[in-house]
Amino acid sequence: MSNDHGGLTTTIDHKTAASTNYDAVIVGSGISGAIAAKELCEKGFKVLILEAGPGKDLSLNGYEKYLDNFYTATSKDNNAPFPRNPNAPMPRGTDVDSLRPGEPNSANFLVQNGPLVTDTTYCKVVGGTTMHFESKTPRMLPEDFHMKDKYDVGVNWPMDYKELQPYYRKAEKEMGVSGEVASQNITGTDNYAEGYVFPMHGMPPSYLDQTVGKGLNGMKVDMKGEEHTLQVRPFPQGRNGIPNLEYKAFNDGENFVPEGAVSLHQAEIGERCQGNNNCTPICPVQAKYDARKTLVKALRTGYADLLPQTVASKVVVDDSGKVTELEYKHYDSMESSEYETGSFKGKIFVLAANAIENARLMLASGLQSSSKLMGKNFMDHPYLLTWGLLPEVAGTMRGTVCTSGISDLRSGEFRKEHAAFAIDIHNDGWGWATGSPYTNLHDIVDNMNKYGKELRHELVNQISTQLLMAVMIELMPDPSNSITVSPDYTDRLGNMRPIVSLSIPDYTLKAVEKARQVTRQIFQRLGAEDHTSYDPLDFGYVSYNGEGYALRGGNHIAGTHIMGDDKATSVVDKHQKSWDHENLYLIGAGSMPSIGTSNTTLTLAALCFKSTKKMLEDLI
Amino acid sequence: MNAKTLEIQQFLQLSVKLTAFSEFQLQGTGQLEEYYDAVYQIVGEKNMIQLLTTFDKIQDDTGSDEAAFDKQFRAKVLSDEKLGPITRSIIKLWFVGTWYQLPKSWNDTFGLLENDKTYVISPSAYKEGLLWPTIGSHPMGAKAPGYGTWSAPPEIPAID
Repeated sequence: MSNDHGGLTTTIDHKTAASTNYDAVIVGSGISGAIAAKELCEKGFKVLILEAGPGKDLSLNGYEKYLDNFYTATSKDNNAPFPRNPNAPMPRGTDVDSLRPGEPNSANFLVQNGPLVTDTTYCKVVGGTTMHFESKTPRMLPEDFHMKDKYDVGVNWPMDYKELQPYYRKAEKEMGVSGEVASQNITGTDNYAEGYVFPMHGMPPSYLDQTVGKGLNGMKVDMKGEEHTLQVRPFPQGRNGIPNLEYKAFNDGENFVPEGAVSLHQAEIGERCQGNNNCTPICPVQAKYDARKTLVKALRTGYADLLPQTVASKVVVDDSGKVTELEYKHYDSMESSEYETGSFKGKIFVLAANAIENARLMLASGLQSSSKLMGKNFMDHPYLLTWGLLPEVAGTMRGTVCTSGISDLRSGEFRKEHAAFAIDIHNDGWGWATGSPYTNLHDIVDNMNKYGKELRHELVNQISTQLLMAVMIELMPDPSNSITVSPDYTDRLGNMRPIVSLSIPDYTLKAVEKARQVTRQIFQRLGAEDHTSYDPLDFGYVSYNGEGYALRGGNHIAGTHIMGDDKATSVVDKHQKSWDHENLYLIGAGSMPSIGTSNTTLTLAALCFKSTKKMLEDLI
Repeated sequence: MNAKTLEIQQFLQLSVKLTAFSEFQLQGTGQLEEYYDAVYQIVGEKNMIQLLTTFDKIQDDTGSDEAAFDKQFRAKVLSDEKLGPITRSIIKLWFVGTWYQLPKSWNDTFGLLENDKTYVISPSAYKEGLLWPTIGSHPMGAKAPGYGTWSAPPEIPAID
């Protein structure tokens, strides 16, 4: 047995792993890799999981070091809890800068080729990006799978919603979803069917949600001649709440038991959200799902080996296209550029590194896919942030980061003309847009010259009334939006870095314009002061139809190894298996042919569960 | 009472004025001595003593007359080229646990201070920031109020 401490500390060395013939070699310990590992290990197959980043955080102590990093970080951005690691660098939202026309900006890890600069981020640590994700878990809508047929835009999926539905349920169980199904029947159809309930009851809506709902519910919006009625609806979330006893019917007659903190020793925390208002970048009590919760289930079978600080550097294939081995670079210390190399062997290989890193590794290995689509069709949700002050104290800065939003514009016939969008009400106030509450404090002290009582009154006036609406906007696949690599741009270990090319098409810009109009109307209806403004010097600034907007990255990267039923027009088949390589799977949101207006994690988790069925067939 | 104890006492009195939190509440954060030490290390003994004695004299001269205190405090501390920026950084320190580097204009006039850089004093300084109780909340990622509490209206403490 290669693991001790109940599977939570790995003791395997690289030499032993390199001389083992694994059933599956998995690249990445995020949610995709963890699900694949768990599903294969539970059937007795031996897997190796490579993680480019550090992995000390499988102990409670290691996790709490991340928390202290967060507390003492002067910038509380998405990756604030995680140390800078030149051997396996990751993008940081604070690293972005405007482009000079005509030249890529390679100053930071993500090489930005423009024209739009993105501040999208992901995480390279054990647990992957679920370590800092917000864990909102709406499903995609049935019509999102048929964009070409229904609206004549984008492409169709090689499967429909019904085919994915049972795997959505598996994903909702694995991620421990709290929510109310009734709030999710957005386009009037009963997408969940048969009296389905989520494993846990919904997170209670925040006082802010209720304040907004009071003024907004029933508001009518015209969408290209179609009337939509808005209401504030809670979101399902992968976060521990109160188990729903009716879930028994979907759980083999058993009550659902929330997964608490991952720990070597018994630690009774994390079984219910405490309202830390810090889902992103780190839940202090681990009530939020992260992939380590799935990963430990794999490790505890005794069939999984985990090698952190091990960067996959090349996928090696034979003449028939079959993958023969995976080359790696292992470093002992993040402080040193020294590394050793080697390779791992397995029956199947699973790239589960994320949409940017999967494509990066394949392209760096010279594997562009016979479709030439590897790295193409890069997608992410552009976010438009709008912010105002409500006429009453709404208790902003309390609750999970987001409990509710407006989902009524996620679909409709208007999608023939422009993209759909969903609106989040941010319980953490203007922070994302302005750096509040810190910027408010600075302004009140340095410019308004307040101290003592007046300062305290002003803090309440400026913060407790904040309403930030973050609009998530659909982006269609477009081969010109891409991830590429070049030997001109490498990291400290000599691995090629991803180059991002991104532009926003009119289909999405029209929705940006509409979203701004709708949010203006919402502020007007609520009697809120609209403080939204976009700086033409902002790195995410775009102009459309005479008005300017600043867009933000959504951290929902997708599309780079697009799935389809024709090998000429897609990289992977409906099982996420590479058309070109009979023993290679590329899993995760990179396979998604469209992203609708859903946060991608739940859907990619469902896809992973579905793909593991095929992997098991391959191995048996 | 030795000199340091006396200075901490003066620093506490000053902090009460700057934050409108009571001595009891400020002591309750457990941060008083850490902040005093940090500011002392950053601005140096001379500046610290000048700030505290200036404040002490204003308080002696104005007694319980709040308007008179405000006038003199603005004239002799907040608008003072040397003491004003230090005082504003102390206010922010109490509210969010971060020392903010003094403005460049301060350095140009009074020189560079070796320890003056923007940093969060400690994990506990972050957690004890006064901004959060001011708005009826808690620091993001710490002192969580419990499941579902966010559904109720905020309890914003009255200022006496």
